[in-house]
Amino acid sequence: MFNLPPPEILLQLSLNGALGGAMYGVAAVGLSLIFGTMRLIFLAQGAMIILAAYFVRALFYGLGIDPFLSLLIVVPVGLVVGWLIYQGLFRKAAAEEDRNVSLLIAVGLMFLVQNLMTVIWGGNTAGVVTSYTATGIELLGVRTSFTRSMGFLIALAGTGLVMLFLRKTIVGKAVRAASEDMDAATLMGISPHRVNAIAFAIGISLAGAAGVAVATTFPFNPFAGFIFSLKALVALALGGIGNVTGALAGGILLGLIEAYVQFFISGGWTNAIAYGVFLLVLMFKPEGLFSRPYKKA
Amino acid sequence: MANRLLEISDLEVAYGDVGALWGVSLHVDPGTIVALVGANGAGKTTLLRTVSGLLRPKAGDIRVSGRSLVGKAPQEIARMGIAHVPEGRGLFRQMTVLENLELGAFQPRARPRTKQLLEKAYTLFPRLKERAQQKAGSLSGGEQQMLAIARATMSEPSLLILDEPSLGLSPLVVQQMFSLIQTLHGQGVTILLVEQNIHQALKVADYAFVLQTGSLAMQGTGAELIADPEIQKAYMGVLE
Repeated sequence: MFNLPPPEILLQLSLNGALGGAMYGVAAVGLSLIFGTMRLIFLAQGAMIILAAYFVRALFYGLGIDPFLSLLIVVPVGLVVGWLIYQGLFRKAAAEEDRNVSLLIAVGLMFLVQNLMTVIWGGNTAGVVTSYTATGIELLGVRTSFTRSMGFLIALAGTGLVMLFLRKTIVGKAVRAASEDMDAATLMGISPHRVNAIAFAIGISLAGAAGVAVATTFPFNPFAGFIFSLKALVALALGGIGNVTGALAGGILLGLIEAYVQFFISGGWTNAIAYGVFLLVLMFKPEGLFSRPYKKA
Repeated sequence: MANRLLEISDLEVAYGDVGALWGVSLHVDPGTIVALVGANGAGKTTLLRTVSGLLRPKAGDIRVSGRSLVGKAPQEIARMGIAHVPEGRGLFRQMTVLENLELGAFQPRARPRTKQLLEKAYTLFPRLKERAQQKAGSLSGGEQQMLAIARATMSEPSLLILDEPSLGLSPLVVQQMFSLIQTLHGQGVTILLVEQNIHQALKVADYAFVLQTGSLAMQGTGAELIADPEIQKAYMGVLE
């Protein structure tokens, strides 16, 4: 076996992994919500994140709006766009028993968005470079990037707000109820279209928040979103489908796994092992790693 | 018949090409308990699911206080004052008892009065108050059925539909269930009750309909049907 590296290196690895993984997590929270009410894997989520990143970039270079300040624009715009995407694209298909139609629409939307972005902004790698892009900060005694830490905070805040909404408001409770049993929810007078539209609105506004985090941290191109969707899917499986905090935790765990694999094995193995873990979890613990079966009285 | 709360006429329902109900007509008058009884597979659950909009009829009409609800979605029918406790209870098992009750009052008609309605439900079901913060899935079978009924009453329905409330419960809890149904009736709630526990159902019912393989076989007051030798032979295991 290998020798364990010094603790500061381990800490550095864990911190970087967790900060990066939080972005998978926030994408996974959106997937989890949409899957919850619609039983649809919204494969276009990653493309929506990259679209938001381009939007943030345009606001920065076009209007001089600070990327983190643009959260105040991107998140509400995401709510509206999500609502419109549901009403325009998915409403009719959602009424069908067959989920494949919805899945195909999601795939179609993904390709459309990718190619529209290519037409508008070109296929090259883009990024947002601000005065603080290269700034480092000290966290837990380890130096790390300021923008990554901000991305982590955005992920935590986004997930926290979604949790509050789901737990404290009656409409949020209706979304949870519909995720658990749509038929029973309709018997309470809950409209499926309404909860689906809400799930989409929140899912896309989270994609907006993730877009800010991506734009400030990584270089990106119109086709980078698909990998994001896949990673979010892995995070979702790790955290347990339909479990919002689990989705964030799953993302962070995936980030940690990737960081360790990269360091201890090699960068080339990162994705292979991430998807391998995905399959193993689905085979042996399909309810997710963090779900605990509650006791019967 | 203007004052009929629920009026079903010539209802036909099919699953694909397979018929499940053929020309069933029945009615429920305000303030009564009506039992719908029959063997397994007679179409009782199908009929209830069609009333609450989970299934679409092939032909026939369903009217609530004179308004047709054919073609309406379940959430619209719920808002018309029909509360359906489905077979298997339809609880949100991952959510708490309190959250389940709150969702019972989700519709605009009831939501502003959630607090008062909760108080009322807790008076009738004190056990649920003790368990308010527990997950619904952690309750015992009897408590879960109580919760399902309490949740349905949270919308102050004009018609409460109960599908097999005694299913899977111990004899003692079944007794509690039927006395609860009578208490609700005493409070003026109109109830359409589907039961396999035919003797008990006929005892509490003002009027009853007997379904047999998708058609109406018999109807009458509860007392008449209990005394009927055919019913005794077919459903209550009375030997001649």
